[in-house]
Amino acid sequence: MKIIDGFVLRPLGEEFIVIGEGISQINFNKMISLNSTAAFLWENVEGKDFTVEDLTKLLTDNYEVEEERAAADAAAIAAKWIEAGIVSE
Amino acid sequence: MDSQMQERSFKVAGHIFSLRMDEKEALWSALDNYAPFIFEGDEERIFTLELVQDLDVDGKEPLYVSTPEEFEQRIDIYTIPDGYVFELAPFGNVPVCGWMKVSSDFSKACLKAEKARRFCINNALMLLYAFRTSGMGTLEMHASVTVKDGHGFLFLGKSGTGKSTHSSLWLKNIPGTHLLNDDNPIVRFIDGETRVYGSPWSGKTPCYRNEDYPVGAFVRINRAPHDAIHRMNLPESFASVSSSSSGLRAIRSIGDGLFATISSIVQSVPCYVMDCLPDDEAAIVCSNEVLKNV
Repeated sequence: MKIIDGFVLRPLGEEFIVIGEGISQINFNKMISLNSTAAFLWENVEGKDFTVEDLTKLLTDNYEVEEERAAADAAAIAAKWIEAGIVSE
Repeated sequence: MDSQMQERSFKVAGHIFSLRMDEKEALWSALDNYAPFIFEGDEERIFTLELVQDLDVDGKEPLYVSTPEEFEQRIDIYTIPDGYVFELAPFGNVPVCGWMKVSSDFSKACLKAEKARRFCINNALMLLYAFRTSGMGTLEMHASVTVKDGHGFLFLGKSGTGKSTHSSLWLKNIPGTHLLNDDNPIVRFIDGETRVYGSPWSGKTPCYRNEDYPVGAFVRINRAPHDAIHRMNLPESFASVSSSSSGLRAIRSIGDGLFATISSIVQSVPCYVMDCLPDDEAAIVCSNEVLKNV
């Protein structure tokens, strides 16, 4: 999967948001808030093709988390991003 | 040819800009909305717009070409090697009648206007203002603004949701209120404070006040079968103010500037969503809540 062109990660206070700033997102109809872990994942897959396994590995390499739990979290985050229309399958 | 250019300057929300047209141009007398904003000092102008008879817009590449509805205005944007070209029309179903060529930093522009010339000049100035000031802590917003107790309250919402109606309900039901602007106020974040300013652009309501106030609240108007107000969280506040602010975020410098300004504003001023009917009760419910948090 891949981040759809034009979506940008921005820090907002102590949170993070992804907003459409590209020409195809001109009507500003999509925005999603991210916690710091999701923001870390986003930064690491920006501009790349990635899989749920890549997200899982980023979690297990950088956080104290069991592989099984990391895989479940990664799948949930990917599904949320696809549902929000900010990542393409 | 016996013609001479005349230049007039205007100061809107602290930013000074100039308009140049032939001194005999009939449009000078059709720009009453700018009268309260005339500026005669010699401080630096942030941009100059010149009305011209001929304009070469060859070699343009589309950046944003819109598909407006019949009664929506058209604003299309093209890139050229050293800037941008804007094409304007007052309605979606009429041909383009204004062409504006703009330098890449939005400080210099030439406009050719064949028809709807007042529309073209007002919109050219609004576009230049929004694009040029986006990195200066300034927002050009789509809102109706009412003043009460020395604070400005901005009502946001898509066209037709009842921003102006809600303002008029405040004027009718809340003593000591007045209208600052009914369509396009300017909002600035300066020295840690968010302020709202009147402008020469106020939609269909001729309300061109050169006044400014600290912002008391942003209130998104949402048509509903009841009257209720609640405060938004930070991401919701950001989305609300952002979707009502002018500027093409796809131009990176503009996107960065707008983000910085809106982010500061929504962390300093409360933002609400007001579910309401167009009734007197709506103004009372809304004012009771927002005034107690000023």
